[in-house]
Amino acid sequence: MNWLKTQISKELWSPYVAGVLLGVVGVLAVWLSDSLLGASGAFENLVGILGKAVAPQAFDNMYFNFIMPPAITWGVVLFFGIIIGGLVGALSSRTFKIRIAGDEQWKSIFGPQTWKRWVIAFLGAIVLEYGAGIAGGCTSGLAISGGMLLAPAAFLFIAAMFASGILTTLIAYRKNY
Amino acid sequence: MINYILALLLGIAFGFSLNKAGLTRYYKIVNVFRFTDLAVLKFMMTALVVSMSGLYVLRGLGWITFPNIPATYVAGNLVGGLIFGVGMAITGF
Repeated sequence: MNWLKTQISKELWSPYVAGVLLGVVGVLAVWLSDSLLGASGAFENLVGILGKAVAPQAFDNMYFNFIMPPAITWGVVLFFGIIIGGLVGALSSRTFKIRIAGDEQWKSIFGPQTWKRWVIAFLGAIVLEYGAGIAGGCTSGLAISGGMLLAPAAFLFIAAMFASGILTTLIAYRKNY
Repeated sequence: MINYILALLLGIAFGFSLNKAGLTRYYKIVNVFRFTDLAVLKFMMTALVVSMSGLYVLRGLGWITFPNIPATYVAGNLVGGLIFGVGMAITGF
């Protein structure tokens, strides 16, 4: 029992152990709910709800009516679970802290200003979500959930993601790479 | 209803594993692209291996049927992945 407590309160686990946990969650999602894990789709469902309320005409199209319906879907509930789970993880290791600035490594590359972190995070997240929308999923929804069903789409996505991720980091870090 | 409760519980376990693997941090995500910390890759590939073996065993036993497999559409998957990687590398999300 004490051993378990010590393990849970550790800040970082071996990625292999955490990976096994996620793998089991992935299997259970299919087994118990007949659903695939994913996070980026939930944003689109939520935006759909918001958009239909604010500007119904702009959101009256194929994408928001059929592909990503504006509703509290299984994925949206999962998404809120992910946030709670992250919070539980941080609380269990007593590392929970509200951070508004980038971490040390981020500051050394992009500069110490907090507003820069916010602007880049905001724009970067738009790019990220847009890419996920085109590809049909994100790291969890396509790469992991698709990969575990051996979907070719997942492996194409992983290859492309790492290729451009490495290139972008190379450009952003230049001689610090 | 029970399905939503399951979604919440699975989500919590998912978020917990992400936090414990350190994937909620900028430097963990970016350092995999610099090959200085491969935690993201180890985490992803372990999850993949565990879940794909689990699912194929369960399907072999006839206990589950697979949900809709994400559609393969080469240009979309590749272009989406390329755009996604840019966002991932500059934000660390």
